[in-house]
Amino acid sequence: MFKSIARTVTLVAALALGTATAATAETITVGGKNFTEQLLLAEMTEQLLAAKGYDVDKRDGLGSTVLRQAQENGQVDVYWEYTGTSLVVYNKVKERLSPEETYEKVKELDAEKGLVWLNPSKANNTYALAMNRSEAEEKGIASISDLKAKLEAGEELSFAVNAEFPHREDGLRGLQKTYDFRYPRSLLKAMESGLTYQALKENQVDVGLVFATDGRIAAFDFVTLEDDRGFFPAYAITPVIRKETLDANPELAEVLNGLSAKLDDDTMRKLNASVDVDKKTIEEVAGNFLSEQGLI
Amino acid sequence: MAAAASARESVGNRVLGWIGLLAAFGFGILVSATGLIDEFVYYWPDIEYLAVQHMRLVAISGGLAIVAGIAIGIWLSRPSMARFAETVMQVFNIGTTIPTLAILALSMSLLGIGAVPAIFGLFIASLLPIVRNTYAGLKAVPAHMKEAANGMGMSPRTMLLRVELPNALYVIFAGIRTALTINVGTVPLAFLIGGGGLGELIFTGIALNEFGMMLAGAVPTAALAIATDFAIAQIQYWAIPRGVNPQR
Repeated sequence: MFKSIARTVTLVAALALGTATAATAETITVGGKNFTEQLLLAEMTEQLLAAKGYDVDKRDGLGSTVLRQAQENGQVDVYWEYTGTSLVVYNKVKERLSPEETYEKVKELDAEKGLVWLNPSKANNTYALAMNRSEAEEKGIASISDLKAKLEAGEELSFAVNAEFPHREDGLRGLQKTYDFRYPRSLLKAMESGLTYQALKENQVDVGLVFATDGRIAAFDFVTLEDDRGFFPAYAITPVIRKETLDANPELAEVLNGLSAKLDDDTMRKLNASVDVDKKTIEEVAGNFLSEQGLI
Repeated sequence: MAAAASARESVGNRVLGWIGLLAAFGFGILVSATGLIDEFVYYWPDIEYLAVQHMRLVAISGGLAIVAGIAIGIWLSRPSMARFAETVMQVFNIGTTIPTLAILALSMSLLGIGAVPAIFGLFIASLLPIVRNTYAGLKAVPAHMKEAANGMGMSPRTMLLRVELPNALYVIFAGIRTALTINVGTVPLAFLIGGGGLGELIFTGIALNEFGMMLAGAVPTAALAIATDFAIAQIQYWAIPRGVNPQR
């Protein structure tokens, strides 16, 4: 009995010591969401920081809200967030803002939560609704208003979405409010984020949810529908880091801003396409990009 | 002595009953305090719509698995197959060892996305328990019964239908129950390849960190699994002839 108590105490002490040393070592936890671009960004950040001599722990494949929560709780130190997502989903801001105002606003609001927005990249990964070019031309749909008109005329246009989109304020919920229509429940096909492209390509659905920086839009000959009421906010890809982590490692700002400066729409599309269309591995694409840019 | 023991047992049962009741009561308070009932009311149209999709996937994939599984089980139990039966069974075993998610991913690359590959994947995943139990049930029919049937001049087909199958039915049903209950619990994965079902609420709840939404998918899934098992148990009870049914 006594022996077992003693053993437990030793174990607990050892564990406490373990966590204490882990906390003092330079382990940076890098987060990422569950689609190609985010997996790439997390991998790039991991390789970049590892090259700078940090111990990196990568946690990717998470849903947006889960990842944000993890960062607020201190389980994730840094990840790449989109300005619009933080504005509408996390900070519940309803007003329309320009891209610059959006960035300034989330920087200010998230600072109160101990999160620091570093320099935004020029890549704007906004949501878009896409169709196969031939079908869109045949049906005469060029904008979301056209789509709404067709739906209200009783045409059955099925829509492939990911898990989050129907329930996000900057997703279908807000879109329906802005355009004043309702996408029929039976026409919504929910699936894994990356599959919406395949579903659309194989004509299993009529409309697909896509990300503007995805390489498959061009590769699969999709057209994106014009957001003619300007609903979707700007989604500049930006490294966001916990203030505590940044204070302990101030040089991280320069390292991450260096990567952020290299990213724009075209670059992201090419990188995403080399994974999704050319089927290269994420590790390879990330490593090649970093060394081409002279970052590692 | 025996009376004392049974008295002790009934006291024990009563205490357990009270603990159970209190636990249920506490759980009820917890549920209403966290606003879960409101959440369920809010998601009810979704639950209804998705539960129908869910059960359709179970019915089609499970139905196919029952038909194919029993047929294969019977075929393997025939004397001509005796030498190969175990080897063939190993092939079905492989179907069970591969994680269901991987089966779904593989069938997606063959059949595209949507309900069709989901049904195929679920079909593969629920085949083994049915084949295995059909085979084992038929093999376990006592030899003296088969000899008697043979002695009465029954043809192999008549013997299968009138002696072997009725005797094996109880074990076959056990396999069907296992397969379909697992099937109901696996359907949520079909969401990932666009197959629909209650997985949509579960995975969306995870992605958005909304506990209520996750439960709105998980609780009905569990309830459907229990209801399915109960329904088949009833069929098992009533469909098996009285003479060979250990329950009656």
